[in-house]
Amino acid sequence: MSSSRARRLAAALSLGLALLGGAAARPAFAKVFLTVEEALRLAFPGCEVTRRTAYLTPEQVRRARELSRGEVPSALVTSYAATRGGQPAGTAYFDTHRVRTLPETLMVVVDPQGKVARVEVISFREPEEYLPRGAWYEQFQSEALDRDLQLKRDIHPVTGATLTARATTNAVRRVLALHRVISEGGRP
Amino acid sequence: MTLLRWRCAVLALAAVLFAGSPARAQSTDARVQELERQVQELQAEIAALKGGSAGGDAGRLAELERRLEILAGEIEKMRIGEAAAAADESDYGLGPAASKVYRTERGLSIGGYGELLYQRFDDERDDGAASGRNDQFDLLRGILYFGYKWNDRWLFNTEIEYEHGGEEVALEFAYIDYLWRPQANFRAGLVLIPMGFINELHEPTVFLGANRPQIERVIIPSTWRENGFGLFGEAGPVSYRTYIVNGFDARGFTAGGLRNGRQNGSESKAEDFAWVGRLDFTGVPGLLVGGSAYVGNAGQDLTTPASGSVDVGTTLLEAHLEWRWRGLEFRALGVQADLDDVTALNAALGLTGNQSVGETLKGHYLQLGYDFLAGRGGERALIPYVRWEAFNTQDEVPAGFRANPANDVEILTAGLAFKPIEQLILKVDYQDVDNEAGTGIDQFNALLGYVF
Repeated sequence: MSSSRARRLAAALSLGLALLGGAAARPAFAKVFLTVEEALRLAFPGCEVTRRTAYLTPEQVRRARELSRGEVPSALVTSYAATRGGQPAGTAYFDTHRVRTLPETLMVVVDPQGKVARVEVISFREPEEYLPRGAWYEQFQSEALDRDLQLKRDIHPVTGATLTARATTNAVRRVLALHRVISEGGRP
Repeated sequence: MTLLRWRCAVLALAAVLFAGSPARAQSTDARVQELERQVQELQAEIAALKGGSAGGDAGRLAELERRLEILAGEIEKMRIGEAAAAADESDYGLGPAASKVYRTERGLSIGGYGELLYQRFDDERDDGAASGRNDQFDLLRGILYFGYKWNDRWLFNTEIEYEHGGEEVALEFAYIDYLWRPQANFRAGLVLIPMGFINELHEPTVFLGANRPQIERVIIPSTWRENGFGLFGEAGPVSYRTYIVNGFDARGFTAGGLRNGRQNGSESKAEDFAWVGRLDFTGVPGLLVGGSAYVGNAGQDLTTPASGSVDVGTTLLEAHLEWRWRGLEFRALGVQADLDDVTALNAALGLTGNQSVGETLKGHYLQLGYDFLAGRGGERALIPYVRWEAFNTQDEVPAGFRANPANDVEILTAGLAFKPIEQLILKVDYQDVDNEAGTGIDQFNALLGYVF
C-alpha cells in the first residue's frame, strides 16, 4: 500500500469513526411505535382520559370535507378527551390511512385551542425507508387549520418520503377539521 | 321497535364483527363500513326511542347504549389494527414502546416504478462535426419491488429491474434485514451502496431531470450495488449505514469513469473487499446534509508481469446537501475518487496515451427547482428546474499519460417537471453538454415516470 493511499485510508476511517462517535452521542432515537394505550399515556401524563364517539350528520361530514380539503372516510369518529384537574388538556384522534399501498396510523393531539399539540406515528406498514426522519413531525406543533397547513407551505417536504409527508399532512388537516366540526356541534 | 328486535340487531352486529370464515371473505374496509352504517342506524334509533320512551325502559336503553359504545370501540380497533392492542409485556428486553415495532403484521409489500424516456440528440457536435447519434425512445426501466416480513425481526427486500423494454433483467437489490433496535440493525445481501442522492433514491418522482445527474453515473456509478453486509440505524437526527462489500473490479475502469467496474452481485470477484459508510443529518425540517466514504481495493487479483499484483486502492469521498423550503428544492453534491496503481492498471488493461484510467476523478453539481403550484392545495406540482454539473473523470492521470479533454465536461440542464398526482411525473428538459474537446452533443429529453 502506498503512503498516500495509507493516508487516505486513515483519513477516511478517522472520519467514519468520528462521525459514528458523534451519532452515538446524539439524543435517543425519537421515532417510536406505540399502542393506543401507550400513545395516550405519552400524550396525557397524569390526565384522566375519556373515550368519546361522535356520529356525524351528513352536513357535518360535508363541512369537515370542506374544511380539510380532503376525504372524510367515516361519519363515526372516536376521540380521547383528556382533563387535568377538571380542565381540558387536549383531545387525541387516531387516523388510519393509506400511504403508498399500505396503511399507517397516526395519533394527532389537538390542544384546547384547536391547534396541533403533537403527532405520533402509531403504526407504519410501509417499508421504514418511507418514514420521515428527524424532527420532521415537530413541524406540525401549534399548527392551526388554515391555508398554511399544507405541504410546501408550513410543512416542508422530505425527499424519499413524499407520499408519507402528504398523507400525514392530509391526516392532520382531517383531524383538525373533524375536531372543529364536532366542537361546533357541542360535543368535544 | 321492540327491545327484542334491538337485542337481535345488536347480536347480529356482534356476529358480523366476530364471525369466522364468511366475514373474513370481506375486506376489512368493507366490514368496517358496514358496521359503521349499522351502528349509526342503531344510534339514530336509540335517540328516537329515547324521545318516546317511558321511564321503565331507561335502564334497558342505557344497556343498549353501552353495547353500542362497545361496538364503536371494536370498529375503532379494526381501523387502527394491531396498534389497538393493549400494551403488554415488553419484548426482547425493550420497553413497550420500542418493542412495538416487533408486533407489526407480517406479510408481503409490493411497489415499483418505471421510466419511459425520449432523447433527441443534436445532429451536430459543438465543433460542428456530425454527431452521429440517433434519437431514441426507450422504456428505460420497469421496476418491481417486493418486500416480505417473515416475522417480527427478519425481513427481505428486493427490486427486480427490467431495462430497455425487458432486454436486460437484473436485481437492483436483494437483502435480508435483522431489526434489532432503531440504533443498530443488520443487513446482508445485494445492497445499494449508500453514496450520493441517486443511488439509493432513484425513483423518477424523487429527482429533477429526465436523466440522472451524469456525475452520479460515472463517478458514483448509480445504480451501484454489491454483495455485502453491515449495519444501519438512526440516533436522534442522525442516520447511518455502514457496509463491508466486495470491491470494484478494476478491469472495468475506463477513462470515462468507474461505471464498468461495478460487479452488480453477479459472480463477483471477492479477492478484495471495501468499506463504505454514510451519515445524514436531518435535524432541521427540510434540510438534509451528509457525507459518505468508500475505501477498498479493486485489483481482484489483477497482475502484470512488471508489477506483479496490482491492488488499485480506490477511495471515494462524497458530500451532499439538500434544502427544501416551501416550493423550493435545492441540491448540491460533490465527489472525488482517488485510485492507486493506475500506471500498472493501464499496463494490465493495455491502455495508452489519453486512454488512461483517471488517478483522480472529480465532480460536483448544483440543482435548483421551484414548484409554482406549492401551497395551492392538491397534489399537482409544476417545477421549472436548472442543474449545473461539472466533472472530469481524468482530473489527474499518471506520468506518461495525458488526459482526454472530452472527459472534462460541463452540463447545463434546464427543464420543467409536472406532477398531476404525486406518483406520476412528466419531465422535459434541454441539456447543453460541453467538454474541453468541443465534442459535446446537446440533447432534448422527455420522460414519463411513475411509482406505485
